Amino acid sequence: MKILVCIKQVPDMESRFKANSQGVWFEETDLAFRMNEYDEYAVEQAVQLKEQLGDAPEVTVLSIGPDRVVEAIKKALAMGCDRGVHVQDPAAATRDPWQIASIIASHAGDKGYDLILTGMQSQDRGSAQVGVTVAEELGYACATTLVGFAFSDGTVTAKRELEGGIKGVVRLRTPALVTCQLGLNVPRYPTLPNIMKAKKKEIQTIAVAELLKEEPLATTVSFHPPARKGGGIVLEGDVGVLVDQLLGILKDKTAVLR
Amino acid sequence: MSAKLFKGAEYLISEVSSADVFTPEDFSDEQRQIGATTEQFVLNEVLPHREEIEHHNLPLTVELMKKCGELGLLMIDAPEEYGGLELDKATSMLAAEKLAQAGSFSVTYSAHTGIGTLPLVYYGTKEQKEKYLGKIISGEWIAAYCLTEPGSGSDALGAAATATLSPDGRHYILNGTKQFITNGGIANLYTVFAKIDKQHFTGFLVERTTEGLSVGAEENKMGVRGSSTTQIILEDAMVPVENLLGEIGKGHKIAFNVLNVGRFKLGAGATGAAKRAITEGVRYANERKAFGVPIATFGAIQEKIADQTAAIFASESVVYRLAGLIDDRLATIPKETPDYYEAYQEGIEEYSIECAIAKVFCSEMLADTVDAVVQIHGGYGFIQEYAAEGYYRDERINRIWEGTNEINRLLIPGIILKRAMKGEIPLQKEAMKAFESLMSPSFDELDDSLPFAAEKALLANLKQAFLVLAGSGVQKFMNTIKDEQEILLAVADVAINIFAIESAILRAEKILPALSDSRKASIRAAVKVFTFNGSEKTASAARRAAYYIEEGDTLTMLLAGIRRFTRYDATGLLQAKRQLASASIAAEKYIF
Ligand SMILES: Cc1cc2nc3c(=O)[nH]c(=O)nc-3n(C[C@H](O)[C@H](O)[C@H](O)COP(=O)(O)OP(=O)(O)OC[C@H]3O[C@@H](n4cnc5c(N)ncnc54)[C@H](O)[C@@H]3O)c2cc1C
Repeated sequence: MKILVCIKQVPDMESRFKANSQGVWFEETDLAFRMNEYDEYAVEQAVQLKEQLGDAPEVTVLSIGPDRVVEAIKKALAMGCDRGVHVQDPAAATRDPWQIASIIASHAGDKGYDLILTGMQSQDRGSAQVGVTVAEELGYACATTLVGFAFSDGTVTAKRELEGGIKGVVRLRTPALVTCQLGLNVPRYPTLPNIMKAKKKEIQTIAVAELLKEEPLATTVSFHPPARKGGGIVLEGDVGVLVDQLLGILKDKTAVLR
Repeated sequence: MSAKLFKGAEYLISEVSSADVFTPEDFSDEQRQIGATTEQFVLNEVLPHREEIEHHNLPLTVELMKKCGELGLLMIDAPEEYGGLELDKATSMLAAEKLAQAGSFSVTYSAHTGIGTLPLVYYGTKEQKEKYLGKIISGEWIAAYCLTEPGSGSDALGAAATATLSPDGRHYILNGTKQFITNGGIANLYTVFAKIDKQHFTGFLVERTTEGLSVGAEENKMGVRGSSTTQIILEDAMVPVENLLGEIGKGHKIAFNVLNVGRFKLGAGATGAAKRAITEGVRYANERKAFGVPIATFGAIQEKIADQTAAIFASESVVYRLAGLIDDRLATIPKETPDYYEAYQEGIEEYSIECAIAKVFCSEMLADTVDAVVQIHGGYGFIQEYAAEGYYRDERINRIWEGTNEINRLLIPGIILKRAMKGEIPLQKEAMKAFESLMSPSFDELDDSLPFAAEKALLANLKQAFLVLAGSGVQKFMNTIKDEQEILLAVADVAINIFAIESAILRAEKILPALSDSRKASIRAAVKVFTFNGSEKTASAARRAAYYIEEGDTLTMLLAGIRRFTRYDATGLLQAKRQLASASIAAEKYIF
């Protein structure tokens, strides 16, 4: 069995974000990066499945991005993935979900992965499109927002989260792709012995040009913080006067009394 | 690997370049991951139980130690042969630094992995390691170290505990009381020091279940209250002869060499604790309003944040520079060397001065930091509900154990003089040169195009000041200098501050090229603030030493020299402090 986990490295979400000079994405300078939270669930699920199947599956972890993403790949290897693929792409942050999905699909096309796991979405861009698009391009069965996962005899039983806490259960034959949601599992910390062992695991580097054949379908035109709300007004004086003032403001400036 | 292998204390007589220092920015991906795993463990598994641990839920502490074992956090310093990871000191210090955020639990952890485990690692026989090490690095057993006695703390070799060979020659019979033993109440294996025939100071591995060993009541402590501290009482405790550790009469080597690493690790821990404390302080400063604005907007608060941020930067620089020194040195010893651990010990002992420096400098940096953090909290800093109160109490012990700061300060000039006598450090020759430059000052122009030119010029001068003072002290008192403690303490302060300032400057110089402009500005600010504070402290200590040593014209000349040697142009100091403070306040944490 062959498993692929796709992960993204994202900034620490507690960072202070500033728009970059083009105003279409955030400025990356001085940000700390880590593995996308949803992708951690994907890695954990892949490793649990590997353990369940007596170590038989080979788990590949793939990440697209500049050199810094190797750190995230190494973490996934330390958590228990077997080998890494780094699609070297310094401009990954400028690509739309279609291009990212196409890169993954063109890597995975001839590899015969039985199961592909991704996060439900990335914490920074949050499009939630990459996983499903990869499934579509490869012609894989697909289930999104998993909060439960079971596997036997080539069939995935996926528990999905619906609106308002309602759950749905779907079955998929492999090859299949699933996207992982908070609550699916508790990702392990890489242990020190595994961190050291992961040093010896292979990480293949592929230049993005070898895999990217598609033009973007969507362009980000602006990235900006929400507009600041105006300050409040403090009314002072006699109650009677205050009431009149307030009524005046509500009539003139709002739709409340119309 | 640094460009040049430096000897212990060599920094005082030669110029060190930035290529020669290891910095936190040099960590490998693996080291960073180990740091992250450790930090996650503390944040997710330990801190949520802080209250329970503080109220002495020792079974919980034992449980958490087992979890540490599962993660491999107890294996760092143990040899691979026995299931350990045998990682370098930089990694070991990083784990200690991250764990230190855990308060009392980190005391349990460091005593176990440091003074608890290392005697066995360094001096244990194959059989002893096979029997005990596996249990210790998995967390199944907890380890403790029993040196102090009610009647002897600093004077550790004055121990009264005795060991007598049993008539059948199969056991040593141990008698005595060990005082203030960390992990005393939860340990399964104790490294106990006692004198064979009241004479030969020797180490023993003593199991908890040994007949005749009993554990005293838990002490009620000012801080680190969640850790276990008890007496260990030995009444005709029968210890099998095969549990003698190292050689008969060589216990002092075990005790002191393990303390070198312990002191160093304490420095790393203090650094981690300070980072957490300042982060808490900055967060509170942003939240708390007074006179209608956040207190973080006040210069009085900002100055504290800036001074401590700069000091923590220096503290980190000291710890990892020392890690690099020791790691580089240990890397020169082939693992196949028959007496590997003997050579290893010598390697660490080479830097006993720097280990003492790390202990004193980092523990006092932490003391200043927690004091500032309480002050930032105002009245709330005095209330137990706020973490600042606990940081303040927990800090205090660091200036007492692993050798009090007085003992460690005295060690610094003590060892330097000993090495000078043996001809290992050309102190005399360098002191003579320094005297010459005292008489005939040179007025070289600063080359401002070089990074940190003013700071480096100051450093060179501070080293001259050290040499002049050490030289005068020796000249005046000769062999009795060792009894002039006030002088030795002052000279130690000069040596400590030089190492710290130098570490901060060299780290800054090394990392600067790769940084963004705003990071560069923060680093430059930290260097300026710390160099200014450090040079003022050095100047004060140097003047103290001068007044203690000399009088009359010589004193006047010395004081003039000190004035010149400690001069530092800190133009822009206020802007630097505000820059550091505003970067910290924006990030709401320790920024480096
Ligand atoms: C919570 C806690 C945990 C501890 N854990 C351990 C442990 O696990 N194992 C262990 O073996 N010990 C442990 N200790 C003991 C600790 O290391 C000693 O308390 C410390 O070394 C100081 O010894 P003392 O208390 O006897 O003080 P003393 O030696 O009596 O010192 C008293 C004062 O005199 C000064 N002084 C002493 N001698 C000199 C000198 N020659 N010159 C100048 N000044 C001097 C000291 O600096 C100090 O200020 C622990 C202590 C505490 C409080």
